[in-house]
Amino acid sequence: MAESVLGAGADALEETLGRLSKKAGVKATIVLDRATGAILKTTGQVGSILKPKSLGSTVPGQTAAPFSGEAPVTTSSPDQGAEELAAMVWNFVGTAGSLVEELDTEDELRLLRLRTKKQELVIVPDAKYVLIVVHDTPPA
Amino acid sequence: MQQRRDEILAKKAKLAELKRQRELRASHANATRQSIGTGSDILSPTPGRADSRREIESLINSLVGEPRSVSVSTGINSPVRRGSRPNSVLSAGELSAGTSEFATPASGQVAPPTPVPQVLSTIPLTTIYECPPSPVKEVFSYSKGVQTTEEWMTPSRPRAFSESDNEEQQPTTSTPNKRLSRRARDREEELRENIRKEIEEELRAAKELVTDGVLKPSAVPNFPARSLNNEELRAVTQSDDFMDFIDRSTKVIEKALDQEYDILTDYTLQVVDIEDDDEHKGNTGGKGRRKVREVAQFYDERWSKKRMISSIDFSPKFPELLLASYTKNPTAPHDPDGIVQVWNAHLHDRPEFVFHAQSDILTAKFSPFHPNLIIGGAYSGQVLLWDTRARSAPVQKTPLTGSGHTHPVYCVDIVGTQNANNIISCSTDGAVCGWSVDMLAQPQEALTLLAPAPAKTEDLSPTCMAFPQADPTFFLVGSEEGTIFPCHRYDRAGAKAGVDARVSYKGHAAPVMSVDFHPARGPVDLGDLVLSASLDWSVKLWKVRAPAATSAIGPGLGAVGGEAHVTPILDFVREDVVYDAAWSPIKPGVFSLVDGAGWLELWDITVETEEPVTRISPSPRKDGRTMLSKSLNKVAWEQSEGKRLATGGIDGALTMFEVGPDLGGKEGLKNEEWTNVKKLVNRIEAVGINGSTAV
Repeated sequence: MAESVLGAGADALEETLGRLSKKAGVKATIVLDRATGAILKTTGQVGSILKPKSLGSTVPGQTAAPFSGEAPVTTSSPDQGAEELAAMVWNFVGTAGSLVEELDTEDELRLLRLRTKKQELVIVPDAKYVLIVVHDTPPA
Repeated sequence: MQQRRDEILAKKAKLAELKRQRELRASHANATRQSIGTGSDILSPTPGRADSRREIESLINSLVGEPRSVSVSTGINSPVRRGSRPNSVLSAGELSAGTSEFATPASGQVAPPTPVPQVLSTIPLTTIYECPPSPVKEVFSYSKGVQTTEEWMTPSRPRAFSESDNEEQQPTTSTPNKRLSRRARDREEELRENIRKEIEEELRAAKELVTDGVLKPSAVPNFPARSLNNEELRAVTQSDDFMDFIDRSTKVIEKALDQEYDILTDYTLQVVDIEDDDEHKGNTGGKGRRKVREVAQFYDERWSKKRMISSIDFSPKFPELLLASYTKNPTAPHDPDGIVQVWNAHLHDRPEFVFHAQSDILTAKFSPFHPNLIIGGAYSGQVLLWDTRARSAPVQKTPLTGSGHTHPVYCVDIVGTQNANNIISCSTDGAVCGWSVDMLAQPQEALTLLAPAPAKTEDLSPTCMAFPQADPTFFLVGSEEGTIFPCHRYDRAGAKAGVDARVSYKGHAAPVMSVDFHPARGPVDLGDLVLSASLDWSVKLWKVRAPAATSAIGPGLGAVGGEAHVTPILDFVREDVVYDAAWSPIKPGVFSLVDGAGWLELWDITVETEEPVTRISPSPRKDGRTMLSKSLNKVAWEQSEGKRLATGGIDGALTMFEVGPDLGGKEGLKNEEWTNVKKLVNRIEAVGINGSTAV
């Protein structure tokens, strides 16, 4: 594979993810470690994806500190939101992975597109990492 | 494995402890027995004899190789590993054996006779003295006692034997039952302990589950295992693995996002969507079935910036892939001078692959015989080979010195068949080289093109080259002076390798920028039609003579004397320099051309030979330069369907268009189209040399 992301690693990473998150409709991107679920990288407004209702009782009153000026007021702090979302997606990937494993042990999960009425989660699981992109779907 | 080893070690320690205790006991017992033994000659022989008996057995076992104890033992490797342990235990046995040896010589003379008197004499002694002091010793001597009753051996020989072999032989069999049982007990206990621990842990986890919140239970036990600190984060995000993953996965996601059609569209919903009218959307040209529409524009801020497109080619294997080669970016001296980007029709914002070279790439092409390979020609004179499975650097390149090219290579091609093909490259000094795809260190064949006799100078400067579909040994080169020469790769009847001096195609007054053979796929063979584009503001259509027939001068066609100056059969005069012209791979009468004013024109000679049927200009880049940036260098068709074509030029943007059903695509192809082209060509030929005016 051609290394189109050569050059300074961090810059290229920022650039690649930056471009991805600049695409029309893209709300957030998260990169997780597949094994531990640790968050490696996030871009966009991760916090805005979790509606306050689904946040549960963990952070009830913590409204967004408007530090970036773009975080919607109704959500919790982005970090918290990212972690919650990451946890949910990570579990989802794990479950989906085990489903695939049970169907055929030699098979492997490649791509998850979780389409909802409002948005779509595109998840690319890899042996070591997981990339999640949340984007708006065109109204249909 | 490690765990197992630890277990074994722990057990060893435990056993060593046991041994020590035993030894103590044994020595104690021996001491007592010795004191007794010296008193009674008859008692002592028994242990000694028993020992030797065991030794023999162990010897037999070791020879036969199936010690009983092994099958019962706890671990597979334990008998071997534990060699040292029983040894030390046996030291107790040895001790006793040693002590008995002092006694045996005496008993040896006495013992061989019947055992009956012995029994009689021993009973009172043992019953009276031995029982009270140590019941433990009784246990110890038990196994020995059993064996003595079986039979008498001559004690002297086995004992000598045993003395030499004591260390290695005894371990395996000495009181295996007891040791084993003890071992098993240890192990069992250990297992039980482990299980208890596990259960406790599970219970604890379950308790935590209950005590924690509703959402957390699923997440908490293992998520996230721990958050990484900054250094770890940096280490991970800088790793090649990670970059590789990001590169791959973002490509996947971008493709997913670029997918225009929404598979969830529900047509039963009465969505009023007036915008769907194609006529008003995007950049289009032409009308109805001759429409041409801009599909995508490929431009990468990082790699396309300030570079010019020098060639374009669609992948023969994957119709959605196309490559463009680029010249250097004068403002980025640290970037590679030449690059090739492979674009995907489904991935708009970034190239699928980027390949590098040290020098401007002037031409590049997918190998028609191997979907992973890309060949290119560089300004430095190198011919390069990239592999999409490898990294961005070329996997092979020709040397800069010695044999090969020392001038810019503007044209490369791969000719031959699947199993026997060559790269043919041509540089501006007239050198033509044939290369093996596997070995670019040295050309397989080399040829120098020289201008034929009447020219003022022998030098010939090819600017473009084209092979007919059918013949890999014959090709045309367009030259800087405007003449198109037929050339042979090898000597053949009536012609030497190199430029065929008998025929030349004169018509262009300025450098020829492209020559293109008609892709002969149809009921009528049109493979002899050639299209050439030139800087003299024209495109010309030629009928090329078959290479074998060149010796016999055909009738008409401007044959003059011994040397034929073939003139074009059609002349398409344009309003600007024409940089490239290419036949449609599907429609026999259709070709496209691009000019210096930035127009992409589509022609159908069966419809109209004076005007293009459609023309369109790529939508300008928003941030692009406005002056002198519109010129288009190259145009290429997608080969399998013939519906899409791509063009690019000075501004570095690669634009892909899709044409209507009258200009491309396999649907509605009629045989008449071929015959129409044939008829047209025949009519023009019949009317005369200046065919273009007579149509």
